[in-house]
Amino acid sequence: MATRSRRKANGNPVDRHDKDLLRRIHEVMVLTRAVEDRMVAMYKGGDLLGSLYTGHWHEAISVGAASALRPDDYLAPIHRDLGAHLWRGMEPWQVMASFMGKATSPTGGRDGTLHYGRLDLNIYNLPSHIPANFPVATGMAFAAKYRGEDKVCLAFCGDGSTSRADFHESLTLASVQKLPNIFVIENNQYAYSTPLRLTSASATFADKAVAYGMPGVKVDGTDALAVHEATVEAVARARAGEGPSLIEAVTMRMHGHAEHDPADYVLPELYEEYAKKDPVELFENVLVNAGVIDADTAKQVREDARQAAIAARKKSLSDPMPDPSNIEDGVYAD
Amino acid sequence: MPTDSGSATYLEAVGLALDSEMDRDPDVFIIGEDVGQFGGAFKVTKGFLDKFGPRRVVDTPIAETGFTGLAAGAALVGLRPVVEFQFADFISCAFDPIINVLARHHWRTGDPMPVTMRAPFGGRLRAGPTHSQSVESYFAHVPGIKIVMPGTPEDAAGLLVSSIRDNNPTLYLENKYLYRRLKASGKISLDPIPLGVAKVVREGTDVTLITYSAGVHQGLEVAAELDKDGISVEVVDVRTLVPLDVETIVNSVKKTSRAVVLHEAARRLGYGAEIAATVQEEAFWHLDQPVVRIAAKNTPTPTSPPLEDAVIPQPAEIAETLRKVARA
Repeated sequence: MATRSRRKANGNPVDRHDKDLLRRIHEVMVLTRAVEDRMVAMYKGGDLLGSLYTGHWHEAISVGAASALRPDDYLAPIHRDLGAHLWRGMEPWQVMASFMGKATSPTGGRDGTLHYGRLDLNIYNLPSHIPANFPVATGMAFAAKYRGEDKVCLAFCGDGSTSRADFHESLTLASVQKLPNIFVIENNQYAYSTPLRLTSASATFADKAVAYGMPGVKVDGTDALAVHEATVEAVARARAGEGPSLIEAVTMRMHGHAEHDPADYVLPELYEEYAKKDPVELFENVLVNAGVIDADTAKQVREDARQAAIAARKKSLSDPMPDPSNIEDGVYAD
Repeated sequence: MPTDSGSATYLEAVGLALDSEMDRDPDVFIIGEDVGQFGGAFKVTKGFLDKFGPRRVVDTPIAETGFTGLAAGAALVGLRPVVEFQFADFISCAFDPIINVLARHHWRTGDPMPVTMRAPFGGRLRAGPTHSQSVESYFAHVPGIKIVMPGTPEDAAGLLVSSIRDNNPTLYLENKYLYRRLKASGKISLDPIPLGVAKVVREGTDVTLITYSAGVHQGLEVAAELDKDGISVEVVDVRTLVPLDVETIVNSVKKTSRAVVLHEAARRLGYGAEIAATVQEEAFWHLDQPVVRIAAKNTPTPTSPPLEDAVIPQPAEIAETLRKVARA
């Protein structure tokens, strides 16, 4: 199976999609940006416990991919994928509470920062060393297939993750077992401070799919529709029992690895290039130009998102800290 | 398929328990290297593929991290995977999913993680430094994993049933030296044996020997010898290291006032250290002598018979230690 870059199909891609879906993708992307911008301010203001991991310029990937799934499909996201959580119904205040160690965080303060996945939303709550979520994602897909359900599992990782054994073992297992998995590599050019040239000598990450015997596709990760359409195709394949797919979505990590990291090792020309490719703005322009929303609506969506982020901060700040008296409970399940 | 002829070996007892749980619960499946067509490296799952099919008897590539993590994901959404590690030595390839995914998931999130990990461990088969390890202490340190180490075919069956039904990640360590050397005295019961309940396998009055797995048989043989010299040894098989039945251990030590711990894992920070510390915390004023550990030397397990025998505890050392502690 050859890998390929997605070519633009004829006509305006907007016309191929339900307008309500497009508006929803836009709203969640805008909300993602607003919540993360607010959290950057909270980090700088000392509201948060430790560092803050954000997904600036990953919004088109996280929301574009998550929006190609059904609510009962499984998701195994990473720390750049707030958009996928918000798409599923995670409340912004819960995410902020996680970064503050509050009792109201999804783990009640036992885990923190980016570890806020909720199984009731069919989202796996991953440990820190990515892609440890990949083998787990094969298991969720395995369970769906085992039960004869047509659910799929989509897992995200970064360019740095592709070097690890669990990446290799997961793609190997998923392909020999024909599991309904979609693996999305968010290629944001850097693994913490390590540039691509020190991470991989492959021409593309999508190329790796050939060796695993699955389709691989490289898409523009700043283009929400390109990500969405590639994911729709991979999901259809997985649901039909044809096995896993690999998607490489290329973007740029516009903040540091986390907010403590000034990322002064990044090539300035990369920042310059990608400053012109803000995925949230790009998608807004696509929708305005196609007449799906008007400029006033776009402005209102941004304002609603800003207000939602402010309200989330207020709630999470006033939420209680956890009670340590039960800390030994739950090490084991009953 | 294993059939219970009335004298199942330790190995057959493991297979019988797994077979009966797969019969009982359609969510139970077995996954690992060579478990299907080949029936497992030690043949625990011989015939399983024919009976249950490839959906529930899953042959994997050599990918311990991958299939252990797969088990975690499947367990999270309601299945009950049983993972077979071909040798306990290879479990190091799955440290990450065991420690960071399986062990702490419930505490972090409240979601159960019912994964049973079976692994043949231990020495005396002249298999050398990377096919003979005792791995229990690596995992006993990590909150969230249960550790089960049966010493008899009867316990192997009942404890595996409980492990599979448990809602936690459970490391079930099979002593491969015992696989074909031990036979059940009667028909194997497939009733669950609760985890966390030790068993006094020989009553005695002079000294308590606290042990598990193959140590139980070494202990019983030595105890029978010492009985001829008028030394009465009580042997406690802890059966599960986590949870540990402290009460049964302490009650025995209170009776005998002397305690020796025996295992074939290396001495330094072996599980005997935990037992010895627990005994001195809970029964210090009942002790007439310091608690003594008998364990393997702090070396890797060698291959050549005279070398391996020099490293792993032998009956003479066990007898001498018990005699000394009992008479001191």
